[in-house]
Amino acid sequence: MEGSHTAGNTYLIRPNYQHKFKPAVVKECIRDILKEQLSGVDYDPEEVPLTSRNLADRIKDKLKKMGFDRYKLVVQVVIGEQRGEGVKMAARCFWDADTDNCAQDIFMNDSLFCVAAAFGSYYY
Amino acid sequence: MHQEKKITREDTWKADDLRKHIRGGGREEDHGRRREEYERQHRGGDSLERRPRDPEREARRERDKQREKESTQERKNREKDRHLDRRKERSNDRIGDREEREKERKREKDKVVDGSKYQDGGRESSDKIHHRGEKENRDREKERAQESEKDKDRTKDRERYKQRDREKGAEERDRERRREEREKRREDEQSIERKDRDRRQESDRRDGHKDREHLKESEYHDKRKDRERRERHSDRERTVQKEDKEYREHRRKEKEERERRHRETAPPDVAESRRRDGDSREVARRDHKSSEDRHRADGEGAERDRRRERRRREEVDPKREITERSKDKRSHQDPKEKRENVETKEVLGQSESVWRSSQKELSDTEEPVEKQDPQTESQPDHDGDAQDYEEDFEDYEEDFEDGSESGGEEEEKQTHSQEEEREEREEREELNPQRREQIEAIQRAMKEENERVGSVQTRLSPEEEEERPSKTGGSETLPQQGKFIDFVAAKHREVNKKVACQQKKRSAELLRLIDLDYSITFSLLDLPPVNEYDMYIKSFGTTNTKQAYVQCNEDNTDRGIQTEELENSEKWTQHPAEWNAVCGGPTLSQEDSQSTTKMNVDSQRLATFLRSASQVVAVLLEEDRAERQSLKKLRSQADTLQSFSDGCLQLNTRLPFLHGRPISLVHFSQVQTQTVLSVHSPIQKPSAVRLDSKTIICIWNIWEPSRPQKILVYESEVRSCCFSPGKATLVFAGTSVGSVVLWDLREHAGDHHTLRIGDIDWTLRQPTFSTDAVLAASGHMSSVSSVEVVPAAVSQGGGPELPLLGSDEESSGLSFQLASLDENGVLNLWVVLELPKTNEAGSQTDLGLRPGGKVKLLHSSTLLTSERKSARDAIKTSPPQALLVKFLPSDPSHFFIGTNMGVVNHGTSHGLQAPPKFYRPKMVGARPVDVTSIDFSPFEETFFLVGCGDGSVRLHTVASEQPVLEWTGNTAGDPVVSVQWAQTRAAVFCVLDATSNLHIWDLLETDFEPVVTEKTDADRVTAMAAFGDSSKQNTFSGIALARQSGKIEMQYFSKRFTVPDSADLGKLQSLKEEVFLD
Repeated sequence: MEGSHTAGNTYLIRPNYQHKFKPAVVKECIRDILKEQLSGVDYDPEEVPLTSRNLADRIKDKLKKMGFDRYKLVVQVVIGEQRGEGVKMAARCFWDADTDNCAQDIFMNDSLFCVAAAFGSYYY
Repeated sequence: MHQEKKITREDTWKADDLRKHIRGGGREEDHGRRREEYERQHRGGDSLERRPRDPEREARRERDKQREKESTQERKNREKDRHLDRRKERSNDRIGDREEREKERKREKDKVVDGSKYQDGGRESSDKIHHRGEKENRDREKERAQESEKDKDRTKDRERYKQRDREKGAEERDRERRREEREKRREDEQSIERKDRDRRQESDRRDGHKDREHLKESEYHDKRKDRERRERHSDRERTVQKEDKEYREHRRKEKEERERRHRETAPPDVAESRRRDGDSREVARRDHKSSEDRHRADGEGAERDRRRERRRREEVDPKREITERSKDKRSHQDPKEKRENVETKEVLGQSESVWRSSQKELSDTEEPVEKQDPQTESQPDHDGDAQDYEEDFEDYEEDFEDGSESGGEEEEKQTHSQEEEREEREEREELNPQRREQIEAIQRAMKEENERVGSVQTRLSPEEEEERPSKTGGSETLPQQGKFIDFVAAKHREVNKKVACQQKKRSAELLRLIDLDYSITFSLLDLPPVNEYDMYIKSFGTTNTKQAYVQCNEDNTDRGIQTEELENSEKWTQHPAEWNAVCGGPTLSQEDSQSTTKMNVDSQRLATFLRSASQVVAVLLEEDRAERQSLKKLRSQADTLQSFSDGCLQLNTRLPFLHGRPISLVHFSQVQTQTVLSVHSPIQKPSAVRLDSKTIICIWNIWEPSRPQKILVYESEVRSCCFSPGKATLVFAGTSVGSVVLWDLREHAGDHHTLRIGDIDWTLRQPTFSTDAVLAASGHMSSVSSVEVVPAAVSQGGGPELPLLGSDEESSGLSFQLASLDENGVLNLWVVLELPKTNEAGSQTDLGLRPGGKVKLLHSSTLLTSERKSARDAIKTSPPQALLVKFLPSDPSHFFIGTNMGVVNHGTSHGLQAPPKFYRPKMVGARPVDVTSIDFSPFEETFFLVGCGDGSVRLHTVASEQPVLEWTGNTAGDPVVSVQWAQTRAAVFCVLDATSNLHIWDLLETDFEPVVTEKTDADRVTAMAAFGDSSKQNTFSGIALARQSGKIEMQYFSKRFTVPDSADLGKLQSLKEEVFLD
């Protein structure tokens, strides 16, 4: 029991390279999901909350399967209607830049835009 | 370690219970049932059995708590909530509890017999644990002791009480409560007055209600209350950090009071003392507030009745309880316990006591240490202590009741009262120990649970989290398993703590290594606003539009016609077929090139072959005809034939354009002896053919006398003419206008103008190259009197001259010098060049070159030959004239110029003065006599004949100024026109004078007069040329005579003039010797 715990308490403060949060891969993953889920979808204010939640879950699930070991994942999905207004979104993180990273992708069609951002924070 | 586990497990089980409780209202029933079961167990002795363990657990927990002081505050907070919940439960269960408690009390009364022993054991064990806790708290206690120095003025008894107080302060509320429970249980056994308890329960119920309201009002959000609660909680725990000294003192006083009272009674019998305690408690309460009593009195009567009834009802249940308990047996770790459960309650009680004593023995090891502790109390004291706690709680309760009843009291007081209220409630629980224990367990569980939920859970590894639900599930189905599960949970907790510690340590270490920083701001989306127009276009831009194409000016189309491309392919053909190829195309390119080159070679050869062959054929045909004609002519003209003539051949000059033209010159080619040219001077009278003003030169082949081979035309009078050396392919002419012209006889007839005269086309050839006006600066300023080819090879010495020339011709090394002499004595030397290729368009640089011409003249040098003579002949009126130029055949650098002064000048082209300077007649004194003819002997080249205008003929050698022989008067003063050596005999020459007399000399026969003198009056001979081939020792030799009428007669010498004689050369040699001798 204790042994297992101590084993858990490694002093590993950097992820293995293959387990590192790779923005390019994640971005591709996000892109796929967004494309798959949102292509041909029109903005519907009633459905969008559900859609965005679903998207976030799907993305998160998929990312979990990608083996980012010891990473805490945060996925944020924002869907908005395209009506010609300007939108600006930004994120700022207080983190360890060596291990943590974020990936983001945008999906747009005529009626809506969707921004999905995934943040991976290494869990020491 | 083992004990710890036990405790914690129990706790966790209760945590699960709590969780359930929190989740739904329905749980309360379960709890009720469970509690009942508990009670039954306790009744059956379980509670007693557990007692010795509990203190240990508590002590242990206390230690834990002290270790985890940081988190206690939080936990306390949660505990508070738990208390609230518990209160609810309690209120529900209380009715049943009371009845059970009564039963138990009876039971315990039975046990009183062995009570002393039992209590001792119990006390000891509990004390031990207590002391253990105390030890840890000692520091704090000391401080507290210092604080309580003020109270030292009190009696010595009090001192002890103070110690107890300190202990109390040191112990946390939970433990106290539990201890109280235990003690109260004992009290119950001795049947403590029920009233008190009832009252408490009543108030408890009330409190519960209040609390519930309270909860509703401010369940989770009221921080202030939280804080208060926390404070209260800490108060309850009586930690040193307690803020409220006043309050503490107050409480202490109360306790002291109570204890004093208790002391007074000094109960050897614990039960009694407890009873008394209860009394004193009541008294204290009454002391504290009289109103409280009143209040209690109000509700007590009725409630008590009600409870009693309920209790009665519940008495029916024990059997069921037992069965339930038996179920629980499985989960009990202690086999003894199980056994005991089956036995009757009395038996249980006894065995329990036995067990407890054994426990005591186990814990004996710890005893001495505790005993050494100066602050350790005596056992009875401890008992009293516990009772005091109870009293304390009652006091608090009272306080609380005070607060609650007299609603508008100050806040501090309220907090006190609330705490006390809680304590009061707990105290009330003391009345039915089983219940209380149960509740205590629940409380602990809640605490633990909260703790875990709050702080530990986050640290739990997923495994642990997985484990937990299963445990809770188990506890839910079998609530009494809680004890078992407690151990596991405790272990978890311990582990968690360790893990937490490790993690904390780790995080502390890691944090040094990890650099947290603010990332750059990720721009997730930057969507610029769409301007209005775009928006409009986007939404409406495509509506109602249609794309169409319009072309203005439709008919104005531009048309182009494209025809199919011409197909070109190169083909060649050849006849006759060679190499089995008759024709070919570009596909056979390599073969083509080969075959074409071959073809070229072949064609050249063919051409030459054809030329020669055709010539031969033509000559043969010509001969055939000529023979027939000549036979006739000879016969017919036999009379006119001279004695020297062996036959005669007439060239057909009866051509329309030659009609009436006098022949000024006849010239044979030196190599091609059958080729002769005749120069027909222009005529003054106009004729039918418009060639009047032009000089016509006809090239004849003497074997084809019927018609001239080539007809050359020049615009002005030609004064002299000559063939090129070697093959007679070029004709040079010096003209009266001072130009030198040349014709290339190889040029194709098609390149020249064709004139149709009569039925026959005549090709009139214009000069290929002319120096007319082109080379005026370097050309002649006066008429060219003579052109002569400079003999080629300098060092050839004359022997192999002809073959050399022939080879030159073949290799197309057509390069030789031409000299032209004008009347002013200017001798120009020209280089004859053959261009490698012709230019049909004419040359830009060579303006004298005819388009398509291949041969041109380059001016080489100019020699002035008349200078020196002019000085000497200054007295002469007539200017000196150069009339003839001849080159020494063996040495082309030597030239001989015949002048009008009767002398022949000798010069060299290199400026070397070679003796003699001139050749003069024997007669001294120069006189103006023209040198009309100079001819070198073809056999002995150092000999040359000079014909003069005064009719004298001189024979000179190159080496001597004086003539070898000189003949004067043979021509009767008529000027000599031409002097010609015979070509086949070295000692024979012919002289033609102006009166058409032809003299033939044979030096072998006679050297003072001609052997034959032929005079023709009818048709004057205007020109004469000897022909013959010196290399061929045959009879082909003769002279061509041009008549005034324009006839050209070829007179063949008779045999005596043609057959070479070996003596001829000897004669000449002898003559030479004579000269030298002279």
